[in-house]
Parts: sequence; structure tokens; C-alpha cells
Amino acid sequence: MDENSQNITEDKPPFLGSWNKIYFFVFGELILLIALFYLFTKAFS
Amino acid sequence: MCGFTGFIVFYGAWKTRKTKNVDNYLRTGKSSSWWVVALSIMATQASAITFLSTPGQAYADGMRFVQFYLGLPIAMIILSITAVPIYSKLNVYTAYEYLEKRFDLKNRVLGSILFLTQRGLAAGLTIYAPALILSVILGWELNITIILIGSMVILYTSIGGTNAVNKTHILQITIITIGMFASFFMIYILLPKDISVIDAAYIAGKMGKLNAIDFSFNLNDRYTFWSGIIGGTFLMLSYFGTDQSQVARYLAAKNITQSRMGLLVNGLVKIPMQFIILFIGAMVFVFFQFVTPPLFFNPVETEKVKSGSYSKEYLQLENEFELLQDQKRIKLREMLDESSRSSLSESKDVNNELNKISTREHDLKNSAKVIIKKNNSEADTNDTNYIFITYIVNFLPVGLIGLLLAAILAASMSSTSAELNSLASTSLIDIYKRMINKKGSDDHYLKFTKYATVGWGIYAVAFALLASELGSLIEAVNILGSLFYGTILGIFLVAFYTKRISGNSVFIGAIIAESVVIYSFFFTSIPFLWYNVIGCVIVIAFSFVLNPILPSKENR
Repeated sequence: MDENSQNITEDKPPFLGSWNKIYFFVFGELILLIALFYLFTKAFS
Repeated sequence: MCGFTGFIVFYGAWKTRKTKNVDNYLRTGKSSSWWVVALSIMATQASAITFLSTPGQAYADGMRFVQFYLGLPIAMIILSITAVPIYSKLNVYTAYEYLEKRFDLKNRVLGSILFLTQRGLAAGLTIYAPALILSVILGWELNITIILIGSMVILYTSIGGTNAVNKTHILQITIITIGMFASFFMIYILLPKDISVIDAAYIAGKMGKLNAIDFSFNLNDRYTFWSGIIGGTFLMLSYFGTDQSQVARYLAAKNITQSRMGLLVNGLVKIPMQFIILFIGAMVFVFFQFVTPPLFFNPVETEKVKSGSYSKEYLQLENEFELLQDQKRIKLREMLDESSRSSLSESKDVNNELNKISTREHDLKNSAKVIIKKNNSEADTNDTNYIFITYIVNFLPVGLIGLLLAAILAASMSSTSAELNSLASTSLIDIYKRMINKKGSDDHYLKFTKYATVGWGIYAVAFALLASELGSLIEAVNILGSLFYGTILGIFLVAFYTKRISGNSVFIGAIIAESVVIYSFFFTSIPFLWYNVIGCVIVIAFSFVLNPILPSKENR
């Protein structure tokens, strides 16, 4: 096994168990931020 | 300021002085952890001009600029899924190396030359823009400021390579963060004692500065939710996926996991960070509701007009502007009282009067700009970049001014060092080692890369010095970037997301795209930002159209 393929097999996220869950978490934060920005804009406009 | 800036240069050079081979110099021997990658990515993107102009953007136009970054998390996810595994699997040093593995040599050379042309000039601008602002505000000699910033960056970047860039990025992003929070804290100290945090936010909101989200679909409006999500995703994909100054940051990671985590942490942190910086700008706006701001924030141009033949007209505008500020302060306090009493009709009356004052204020500023332009036809009438630095220098205590100036210099050095490092690595890997000298020793290549870093640094400084004499070159550099960026993105998108498109068709598609973009530049009035879209779409379209017609390796 060469170094590169070793890198691929080590490809496990340090948190949440799977990459899909991490991607969902990042995307979820984006949705949450958009919602918060909307409320922020409405509250102070 | 001098102490911290000197320490960064010394620390970067000293800690990485023993870098002994090309892999260590260009990719830190693939030893960086995800948090180093994340900080380095953020420090590379946060140039001094971003640090200086973002709060000014909120002051002038409200917080809607935050929408520009909405596509960033999506781009980070897409790149983590697609680009990172590809780069990691092929064990490349530069993004353009991948183009030869996917297509052929000519596409690699085309991609790297487009990058070197664009980024080489942009590095000069990264040094020039903050040097100009610092010299205007602090009275420093511009050319000396340019040479000073350039020399410091060249010193530690050429000694330690990517390792020095990453190590200094940690310190630089730390001082930038401390600086921003310190200025945020100071605004509340400096606001009138009877104005609370909520009052300040209320005023900013009523004056239209807390407009973080706008769902309206308007192609003429630069910052909306839709332009941020759609246009922003493409722009961030291009910047983080194909620009070597960013690609080098995550290629230095220990493994694919660390690269991905670095990008994704950037996706998590970037928008809140920009929100805070913009909120600081909105609070600076509130501060200047209670302290009369200059009619025009660039002190050099103001001084010129006051000592010129339009002095009388300008002073008249200044007097009216000051009277307007007094009226506005009375109305703002009335508005705060009305808000506590929640009387809707009276509150509307006060708001209407405030709107009238704001409109008159806006007219006065525009009139001032017309006079400034009449007085000096070369004058830049956009003073947004000078707002935050005016607040820092005129209203913060001495120690904090030093801290924030150190943060501005740190931001300038952080992006410039990453640019010089990526220019040198592309010069070595994609040009010199690939086409000129294939059989050199590791030591020879290491020396070449160090000389290339110094060479690109001198080139950037020389361009920055030239730009100070030819002001219109600045706009030319921005246009130059847009002339190439769309084509590069198009080549990479075809490479990432198609399997059957050959090198010949994408190369010809890129040449056609570049020709159309250059034609648009010379013979049409299309705004230059659209060149990015035009170039990208034409590369993709022609790649698909030409692929069945043109011979490819497989066909032969």
C-alpha cells in the first residue's frame, strides 16, 4: 500500500462518525445562520 | 506595533530556518493539522484591505455584504467531496499539476501561466493597497511603506516557505482577532453613557445598517441572498479550488482528513467572523452619530480641496454638514424616547425626519465628492477604506492603535506571504522542473524555489511602487483578474466533474473562452465581473461540443 492510498483509508472524520454527518452539520449551520440573520434584520429594521 | 511585527518576521524565519527539502518547503512535508490549515486558509483570505474596508462597507452600505459569503460553506462541502480526494490521491504539489494528470501538459501550462500572470500582479496590489491607506492616514512615505512590508514578507517566506507562512499565519490571525474584539469593545466604551448596546443596535437598525439578509431577486443589486448563494458558491469554488495560494494551504495537511477538516472549519467560522466585523462597522456608524465625522474620510484629498480654489464651497458644505449632525443627534434621542414609549405614530414622525436628514447628509457628501473631483481629477472619491482607520487613529488609546496597526500589517503580510509562496511553488513545479530542468537535485530545486520567492517578491514590490505613480493601474489589475479567472474555473470544473472530455477540447474551449473575454473587454461595455461567468460557461460549453469532433488520446 503506497502513501496515498494509506491517506484515503485513514479518511475518517474526528467528530460525528461520518463525513456525511459533518457536511450536514456545516450545511445546517448555514441554514441556521440565514434564519438568524433574517430574524436579526427583521428585529432591528 | 513594531515589536509584534518584528517578532512575526523573526519567529517565521527562525522557526523554519532548517527547512531542508522541497517537500518540506512547499508542503511542510505534509505535516499540518486541520486547525493550522483552517487558520492558514482564513489568514490567506483576510488581506489588510479586507480588514480595513469591511467595517467601512457596513458603515456606508449596511451589513448586507455578509451575504457575499453565503456560498462559502457550500463550496467547502463540494471541495471536500471532490477536489480534496483528487489532489490527495494524486499527491500533487500544485493544482495545475493535476491538469496534466487529468488532461495533458498544455492545459497544465495554460492554467499555471494564467495563475502566475494574475496572482503576480495581485500580490503587488495586496502590498500597495494597505500601504497607501497607512501612508495617507499616518503620514508615512508611501514607497518606504511598500518596501518595508514587501521586505519583511520576502524575508521569512523565502527562508521557511509554506512552513513559515503557516506558522506566521497562526500569530497573524490571532492578532487580527484580538484587534477586532478590542475595537468592538472600545466602541461601547466610547459611546455616550446613556446609549446602551440595545440602543446602539436600535439606531443602526433604524438607519438601515443591520440589513443582513435581503431575499429580493434583483440582478442589478450586487449583494442579495441569491447572488451570495449562487454567485458566491461559484466564486468560492474558484478561489479555494483552483487558486494555488489557497490550494497550497490544504495540500500541506497530514492527510485527507486534516485537509477536509481545515476547509470545513473555515466553512463554519467564516460567516460568523464576517458578521462580527460588519457589526463592528455598523457600531462605528452609531459612534459617528454622536461624534461628528469628517464630511469626506480621506484626509489628504480633504486637505487638498481646502487649500485649493474650491475651498470656500467645500467649507460651506462642511458647515451645513455639522449643523445637520446636531439636528440628527436631537432626533436620535427623540427616537430612543419614542421607542421606549412605543408610540407608533410619533415614532413614524421621528423616523421620517431622520430619513430626511439622512437624505440631505447623503446629498452633501455627494456634493463634496463632486468638488473634490473638480479640484483633483485624479482623486478617488470612494472613502470607504478610510472610515475604520480614521476611527482607530483618532479615537482609540495609543496602545490600542499600535495593536490594531499591527493587526493591519499582519493581515497584509499573511495574504502576501501565501501569494509569494504559491507563485514560487507553481514556478518550480509547473514550469522549471517540468519543462526546463527535469533532472536537478532536491537541493537545486530548493534553492530555485527560494530565489523564485525573492524574485516574485521583488516583482510584487516593483509593481506596487509603479502603481503608486499610475493610479489607474489598480482598476486594471482587478479587470486583469476577471479576464482570466473564469477560464481557469471552467478548465477545473470540466476536469473535476467530467470523465470523457479530452485535453484537446478543453484546451481549445479555453482559448476560445479567453478570446471571447478579451473581445468583450475591448469591444463591448459588459461589466468586467461578468467576464468570470462568460469565460467559465464558454470553456464548459465548447469542451462538450468539440469533444466528439476532436481527436483524443483514447481515440488514437
